[in-house]
Amino acid sequence: MNTSPCEMSPMERAAAIAKGERVDRMPCNPNIANGTARILGCKISEFNTDAKTLAASQVASYRRFGYDSVRIFTDLFTWCEGMGAKVNFPEDDTADLLEPAISDIKDVGKLRPVDPYKDGRLPVHVDAMKYLIDEIGQEVGCGGGVVGPFTNAFFLIGVDKMLKMIRKDPEGVHALCRVSLETSKNWAQAVIDCGLTPTISEPMSSCTVVSPKVFREFSKPYLAELCQFMIDRGKPVTMHICGQTNKIWTDLADMGIAAMSIDNVASITECKQLIGDRCKVLGNVDPGSVMYSGTPELIRLKVLEGLAEGYDSPKGYMAMSGCSLPVETSLDNIQAFMDTVTEVGYPVVPEKIHAMIEDARAKVAAQQ
Amino acid sequence: MATQEELLARMTECVVEMEDEEVVEVAKEYVEAGYDPLVGMLEGLVPGMQKASDLYDAEEYYIPELLICSDAMYNGLDVLRPYVKKDAMGQRGRVVIGVVQGDTHDIGKNLVKIMLETAGYEMYDLGRDVPLQDFIDKAKEVDADVIAMSTLMSTAMPGMSEVVKMLEEAGIRDRVKVVVGGGPLSWDFAYKIGADGYSVTASDAVRLVNNLMDGKPVGPNVQ
Repeated sequence: MNTSPCEMSPMERAAAIAKGERVDRMPCNPNIANGTARILGCKISEFNTDAKTLAASQVASYRRFGYDSVRIFTDLFTWCEGMGAKVNFPEDDTADLLEPAISDIKDVGKLRPVDPYKDGRLPVHVDAMKYLIDEIGQEVGCGGGVVGPFTNAFFLIGVDKMLKMIRKDPEGVHALCRVSLETSKNWAQAVIDCGLTPTISEPMSSCTVVSPKVFREFSKPYLAELCQFMIDRGKPVTMHICGQTNKIWTDLADMGIAAMSIDNVASITECKQLIGDRCKVLGNVDPGSVMYSGTPELIRLKVLEGLAEGYDSPKGYMAMSGCSLPVETSLDNIQAFMDTVTEVGYPVVPEKIHAMIEDARAKVAAQQ
Repeated sequence: MATQEELLARMTECVVEMEDEEVVEVAKEYVEAGYDPLVGMLEGLVPGMQKASDLYDAEEYYIPELLICSDAMYNGLDVLRPYVKKDAMGQRGRVVIGVVQGDTHDIGKNLVKIMLETAGYEMYDLGRDVPLQDFIDKAKEVDADVIAMSTLMSTAMPGMSEVVKMLEEAGIRDRVKVVVGGGPLSWDFAYKIGADGYSVTASDAVRLVNNLMDGKPVGPNVQ
């Protein structure tokens, strides 16, 4: 089954690569996020109430570009909302946190882990996952996003309060993370029960936000337990953390993750050298200054540079943007990303990439 | 009795070392000894925050540390501020400041606000994710001398250009200086959108705004 515009479906491609056969291109994912609404032609707010539309936008975007993974995930606040936080829903933009679930850490005992089939928008996401896997589950890997326990804890008490509690009230932070972990597990189980694979987003664990020491004390124990929960159920763990993450890569690889998705401020080469023998490396074209503001020529150059760095990573590499694309990223720019990966082909011939990089550099220079 | 230098050094240390309670005691001791509160801000508290930013750049401090340093500085400022002579506070000019729409990263903006405040400017803080029209409305309302905008997100940068255009349309562009800052920005960008200046750091922002107010030249090569 192949309803993608590419020569092979992602599943055919992956199977052929595993057998060592020649395929049309390496797997890749421009990471479109809520921009799928622009492709289907709906408002982003429809994703909050209409499971069919949420799934249909993913299907439409996949059928337009043919990239190698799709996912039900709209924003970071679906889980804290299910635990009592208030969320702002713009008519046609990504949701944002309005008010945390509790205002005083004294109330931490009142927080309950989510029920995926009852709380907030989670039932909509459950139904969307079912529609998605019914529609294209035979040809492309389908994921369900889940926010990590540490990040979710920030949204339960409020970001500023949590940042200060890290120094002033470590026990309170642990209490928030514990109940968050139960939420993450409940959701991961629901994703697995729908037949999809959970993918973890844990942005607040970034070295751009907290120190590796704080990560190890407050985030790692819970995140490791969530990873193990998935591994015990036979699911590979894909981890995305925004910003710089180099100082915690070894910790993450120790959790048994199958893929590490890195942001544009992190280095593919460094990641490959440090943990490439233990997990796949995904990344890391700059979603803002390259994918959103750049020209197709600049995108070609950056995708090529990433491929040149990552193609020989021992456990594999996947060209991806460093983080979710801005909603209004032009479809031409996304197509340029896809076309570049196809132009390189597979197996990768390094000399060919280097020649293409020379060509791309000249074209970008000519534009300036 | 402690000398002024000793107390300044202790205030700096309190801010850097995240002593957000002890700083209050030191600041009290400082003003009760009759030392100049403005010097206390500029040479005691602010250098502490500068050192904290340096530690952040060096990846020794992270956001939680920076936040408590900034709490410590604010706590110190709260003690010193009532003792500053009226003619020194807010007399340099009025500044409207905010993070432009589409972005909620406001730590940099807050640092610039503190720096300009302590340098004698009257600050009107619009917060973060600020609708573009609010900059114009507030500038008119308070007859601002300067509009300062920041963003960490390249996706929010076009908003800054819009504000400059909106000032022109409102016919008040020549009455107000526009300065911009934030991770993805540059002097090139500032020139491109028709802003008056750009600064890399919060302390540079003070120098930049001072120079603009005094009619001195500014630019990438001006110290």
